[in-house]
Amino acid sequence: MRTRRLLLWRAPWIAALCLALALIGPGLAGTAAAGEKLVVWWNKGYYPEEDAAMQKIAKDFEAKNKVEVDLSFTAQEDLLKKITAALIARRVPDVAFCFFNDWQVVPKYGWNDQLADVSDLIKELRPRYNEKMLEVAYVMNNKTKKRAYYGIPIEAQTMHIHYWRDMLREVGMEDDPAKIPMKWDDYWGYWKKAQDALRKKDSAKYGKLYGIGMTMSTRASDTLYNFDMALLSFNGELLDKNGKVIADQPKNREAIIKTLKWFGELFTSGYVPPDATNWSDGDNNAGFHSKSIVMTPNPSQSIPASQFFNKDDPQKTNYFDNMATIEWPDGPDGKKARYLSAVKTVIIPKDSKNQKLAKEFVRFVVEPARFLEYVKAANGRWYPAFTDVAKDPFWRAGHKGPKGQKDPHVPVATMIYQDRDNKAFEHWKHPANSQVYDENIWGKAMARIAIDKWAPEKAADEAIERMKTIFAGYK
Amino acid sequence: MTTRLLHNRTFHGFMFSAPLLVLFGAFVIYPMGFGIYYALDRDSYRALFGDPTFRQTVWNTVWYVGVAVNVKLFLALLLSGILDYPYRWIRILSALFLIPWAIPALPGILSFRWMLNSQWGIFNHLLTKFGLSSVPWLAQHDTALGAIMVFHIWKYLPFWTIIFLAGRRAIPNELYEAAAIDGAQPVQNFRFVTFPLLRNLYLICTLLSMVFTLGDFTVPWLLAGGAPGDSTHVLATLAYRYTFHMGRLEWGMATFAVALPVTLFFIFLLLRWVKI
Repeated sequence: MRTRRLLLWRAPWIAALCLALALIGPGLAGTAAAGEKLVVWWNKGYYPEEDAAMQKIAKDFEAKNKVEVDLSFTAQEDLLKKITAALIARRVPDVAFCFFNDWQVVPKYGWNDQLADVSDLIKELRPRYNEKMLEVAYVMNNKTKKRAYYGIPIEAQTMHIHYWRDMLREVGMEDDPAKIPMKWDDYWGYWKKAQDALRKKDSAKYGKLYGIGMTMSTRASDTLYNFDMALLSFNGELLDKNGKVIADQPKNREAIIKTLKWFGELFTSGYVPPDATNWSDGDNNAGFHSKSIVMTPNPSQSIPASQFFNKDDPQKTNYFDNMATIEWPDGPDGKKARYLSAVKTVIIPKDSKNQKLAKEFVRFVVEPARFLEYVKAANGRWYPAFTDVAKDPFWRAGHKGPKGQKDPHVPVATMIYQDRDNKAFEHWKHPANSQVYDENIWGKAMARIAIDKWAPEKAADEAIERMKTIFAGYK
Repeated sequence: MTTRLLHNRTFHGFMFSAPLLVLFGAFVIYPMGFGIYYALDRDSYRALFGDPTFRQTVWNTVWYVGVAVNVKLFLALLLSGILDYPYRWIRILSALFLIPWAIPALPGILSFRWMLNSQWGIFNHLLTKFGLSSVPWLAQHDTALGAIMVFHIWKYLPFWTIIFLAGRRAIPNELYEAAAIDGAQPVQNFRFVTFPLLRNLYLICTLLSMVFTLGDFTVPWLLAGGAPGDSTHVLATLAYRYTFHMGRLEWGMATFAVALPVTLFFIFLLLRWVKI
């Protein structure tokens, strides 16, 4: 009886002790391991080869430095939320690489003084960098009131247009990329003509086919590329070199109106799928792969890269023979297209306890031979931010087809990066511009015209006003 | 003193419930406090009310909650009457009827999205078969918001129907027998017996469903994601967009805080009604 009573009054203490150990234990374990473990959050690759290449790099780093690398892969949409939550809660990884870092993390959290200043690392790597891609990480810190490098750019994507050559051949239209008309109206008219011809030829098969897979949705970041590329074609600018809003200047307002009017007319013309205003980033890819659209503008080479790995097409006929990548057309003024690149960037949070080791890890990742292996594993989806890596013959030649065919995709992207007027997206100029992109205000303006039937002037003015309001919020 | 404390039964009780209290504190009190702290930022409200998307979102939420909940519960009340018939085939129908509620939301929503696709969806296929023009269901505000409501009703109708069915079965049969002696027809049975006895349950279900629907994220987000043009957000999806797409936790919290008085009012009414 006495033993039972003794046990009874000890039980709460035992329960409390167990609870305390359960709560504190993991923390103690974490403390013991701190300094020996590098936590790396990496964007899950589109292809298993990318992840395998990064795992190999992490293993090599562990072996060389006698440390543990806790490497985890997360899909881009989820990783952005994970990084955002970590930075807000100040429980951060040591290194984080997300495809959305460049426009949704670096400008905002650099401004908030929550990212490590990596200017020393950038200075060391500078001779290797493509200078145009470097500025994306040179953002303002609102605490120090100075710009510095708060990220390490590693690879980029830019605008390409893909189309089905075999569909054009089917209706006797010229399918050679060199022979597609590149003048603004002729270019867009060409895909409209293809839609008409295909629907006429076989209405049962192509009755619901559309010529132009233009994403115009607030859900998709592709919309930003489409708008900004078209705005450049119409010679419009949103910010000056210091990050001040100049969208309301008459010349730029006019260019914005023309751009929005063009998108509105394109949508209502019946040559863009009606659901394009509701597409997410993958929907134009899906529409293209299922051949329900003839062409689509798409940032990055994800569409051809996906066809390259298509298991149902072992001869890679789609990649080498049935589809092609071409440039954005010349502007309405006849000038060659100017391009925008989104430069994907690694960050080291300021709250990381292992900043030195984190920098060492990034330095290790971007060593030329190692980084070439990694970036090539993405099958040309990304273009390296380092000139020495970009000198590899792969970027100019691409893959060789099983019948000796030339690569119709990777060299086109390389030509855009190396031979065309190309600049980084301008979110780095001001963190408010990052919010402009987040809110997708230009996608909203497109919807105002296409769905709500607003006049382009009214939609443009609403968007410009919203842009100015957002910028005014950053003091 | 320590010995007395150790032998105190209240202390024992407290210690045994300590794990639950700690968990409650960690996962309810702390997040709520954290949320309230963030939601107190006045600048957030200025930003919210200056955002045209927020104003549209408030209206969408009012429509969504007002229409979807009331249509759903009214239909549930009627359907529960059908399912109350003592036929064998009705039992089979009841089992089939539960399927929408039983299947996970995600595959249901994705299937619905495909069915609404303007290019190859079944709805437009049928429309064009009958010579009508196709409709971009998810690419215009009214039809997209309507689709969200329809899916919500389809998904949750079985649950509320079963609740009303249970309510109907709790009504003593003698009341219907007495009504029959008085010559009551089915409509009069419903008007003078069934509905008065289900009225309290109906109101409680309405309040509960309003509280659930006010915080519904899954259906509006997965079906439309705010598109087209951010015109179909409800408060839950907009708060998510602010917090995780834009990194504005304080705006996200303020968005929830805007809905909080309404939710608390519903909960207050509910508690009064059930006399807790």
